[in-house]
Amino acid sequence: MKRVEVKLNLAVVAPLLDVIRAAADDLRPMLAVDPRLPANDAEFAAEWTRELLAAQNSDLGRFLALFNAEFFVDGVIALDTPNSEPILRACSAVRLRLREKYLRPLGDETLETGEVPPDKKLTANQRRAFAADVFLATLQELIVQHLDPTALE
Amino acid sequence: MIPAAAQPHHAPQHASATETHLADVWRVVVLNDPVNLMSYVVMVFKKVFGYSEQRARKHMLEVHEQGRSVVWTGVREQAEAHVFALQQWHLTAVLETETAS
Repeated sequence: MKRVEVKLNLAVVAPLLDVIRAAADDLRPMLAVDPRLPANDAEFAAEWTRELLAAQNSDLGRFLALFNAEFFVDGVIALDTPNSEPILRACSAVRLRLREKYLRPLGDETLETGEVPPDKKLTANQRRAFAADVFLATLQELIVQHLDPTALE
Repeated sequence: MIPAAAQPHHAPQHASATETHLADVWRVVVLNDPVNLMSYVVMVFKKVFGYSEQRARKHMLEVHEQGRSVVWTGVREQAEAHVFALQQWHLTAVLETETAS
């Protein structure tokens, strides 16, 4: 993947970073997805979970590093070969956490389509989480298109 | 492509698996979730299994429309490695045996 610089609208993205960082913090001690391992070997399950958690935290660290002091000057994030896959996975983890924490009441169809029905009333937290989810999904689409141009929705 | 520090880990070795289980046929099943993008899931299947675009897309559509897809079948050790890789990408992947279904 060639290096890609994406200029984001600071006024739009900066307010979403608090909810994104909070979701990432939630994920430090827990996996975004329950690994559903066979229950007959606790030691094996613990080791499996520990390794997944280490990988998840590594990815989240790479992702959050995008939004450093420099980002708040020019609003640019740089995507390249080393960071694209960790960022893709981290976006997925954060989106899954946002769903668990805020968005589940909206229903799966709303999340899949990315459109909130006009009659649906959102709380302030749900509005921020939904906007963060749409932002992260858009970032994922951008990265997937660069990594795998044949992948179409 | 990923630097060493962030490279996906290998699945932990399963020291207590019995020889009977190792000889069984195990299935890697991916379940639907409302969060991961279709294009993302296709890309993950291609990356983890080396599937063609067409085959990866077929499995993605099965997951999306039927709620699950058997994406790989084989020996336990390899199945565990695939499940671990899919879980690193935050897909809901489970192991099943022929007898469990």
